[in-house]
Amino acid sequence: MDTFCTVYCYAVSRSSPDICSLTRIYYDAGCDDLSFSASNGVVLATEKKQKSILYDEQSVHKVEPITKHIGMVYSGMGPDYRVLVRRARKLAQQYFLVYQEPIPTGQLVQRVASVMQEYTQSGGVRPFGVSLLIAGWDEDQPYLFQSDPSGAYFAWKATAMGKNYVNGKTFLEKRYNNDLELEDAIHTAILTLKESFEGQMTEENIEVGICNEAGFKRLTPAEVKDYLAAIA
Amino acid sequence: MIKNTQCYRPRTDLLLGKKKKKKKKAKKAKKKKKKAKKKKSTSCTSGKHKAHFTKMATLAVRQSPVGGFSFENCKRNAVLEGEANKVGYSLPAARKTGTTICGVVFKDGVILGADTRATEGMIVADKNCSKIHYISPNIYCCGAGTAADTEMTTQIISSNLELHALSTGRVPRVATANRMLKQMLFRYQGYIGAALVLGGVDCNGPHLYSIYPHGSTDKLPYVTMGSGSLAAMAVFEDRYKPDMEEEDAKRLVRDAIAAGIFNDLGSGSNIDLCVITKGKLDYIRPHDEANKKGVRTGDYKYKRGTTSVLTKSVTALNLEVVEETVLTMDTS
Repeated sequence: MDTFCTVYCYAVSRSSPDICSLTRIYYDAGCDDLSFSASNGVVLATEKKQKSILYDEQSVHKVEPITKHIGMVYSGMGPDYRVLVRRARKLAQQYFLVYQEPIPTGQLVQRVASVMQEYTQSGGVRPFGVSLLIAGWDEDQPYLFQSDPSGAYFAWKATAMGKNYVNGKTFLEKRYNNDLELEDAIHTAILTLKESFEGQMTEENIEVGICNEAGFKRLTPAEVKDYLAAIA
Repeated sequence: MIKNTQCYRPRTDLLLGKKKKKKKKAKKAKKKKKKAKKKKSTSCTSGKHKAHFTKMATLAVRQSPVGGFSFENCKRNAVLEGEANKVGYSLPAARKTGTTICGVVFKDGVILGADTRATEGMIVADKNCSKIHYISPNIYCCGAGTAADTEMTTQIISSNLELHALSTGRVPRVATANRMLKQMLFRYQGYIGAALVLGGVDCNGPHLYSIYPHGSTDKLPYVTMGSGSLAAMAVFEDRYKPDMEEEDAKRLVRDAIAAGIFNDLGSGSNIDLCVITKGKLDYIRPHDEANKKGVRTGDYKYKRGTTSVLTKSVTALNLEVVEETVLTMDTS
């Protein structure tokens, strides 16, 4: 994945006609991912293409649990994602220690997004080169949020990120409706991934995470294989 | 402010003694250090305080503490307490849970038991408090000692253990929780009054630890803690057998806690149980209501007119108003 970061951190304090253009992050997302919010859960799906067959795919994951009921996936730079995952987990625990309640998804997204914003306005650091998709379940409702390197966050019903996000989004627009169940949502998500997938899609090179009232779970390769079989 | 801390720097270089140096060199070194001291001390204090500060600095051998409690107020607190006692007042004490807690390892797992009385001196503060705290889905911890300390310590370690489990991607082990707890308690040198019984089941089987407020731990098949620990331990020592069945083990723990409840003033009310096995967790609260509040059998309400009035005489008291004070009440 090529990443270009043109960030003039110290220059931000100087007055400029267009501050937004000072910090512009170019990154070739490389990997597609998308997420789908159903009536009884949320699906996060991503492709996990490794550059060589020698890679041990099971050692590194893109879909990560943050708490029992919140999970996250990214598009962008892996190392930056790791930092954010650790931060998000710590923020969730800090909230729990104070309020004795699992952190609501919106609260976590706000906190993570403000961390990302911090790095666009501090000296000596560069913005995070990742876009996050955060899925959670609280109070009998599914939630799906996207968080950008700028620190902006949005709630979605369904979205796609990465290389072919335009195609992905049009595909999702056609197929989305409010009453979809989780099983159908997983099916649709995998189909959408397949649209922009180069080569053969196996259980080893995609990752799927689901979030429902039982909590967040990353599907095992065996479970993913079952869903793939349903498509083929 | 900054100048003061410079004066306070512990002069370990003087203390750790470069005694073997030749006199001339030592003198030169001393002169240099004196000059350095002079410079520093004149910048923050007048001449007469100079010696005082440098003396104070040399007394502090240990390294300045990083994080954790600062014990500077302990001396002040002791002085305040002494002065209060002289006048006849006693400072309020922290609420202790004068408790009976115990744990036992049986065939398939671990059973933790606790009573439910929280005491504040000689008064029962809470008749039904929960002393078995959650650490992780497969690890629970009973707490005796200061109620706030056990509550917050177990919560903090529970959060840290969850972060650890997410980071490693594995089910947390009881030994990890034990390490975290003992290292935290030792860091606070016993000032956190939490005596814990930690039990759980992980990939290596069932484990049971007892953790003391100063940070020492014991790994045993059966443990008891709290003021009723002797009564409970007597029951264990009599009837414990390795590899018991679940029902026998539950009865044993129930009897041990009951012994604590009935023979120790600091323990009472109900018995809570927590059975942890590989696949299953049973948090039974209450397992046994050993001390149910009785129901009143009689009633002392009488109708008006039950007692007939025979005579009635009214005597007026001649009172003189000596002093009148008005106390305003803030009704805002």
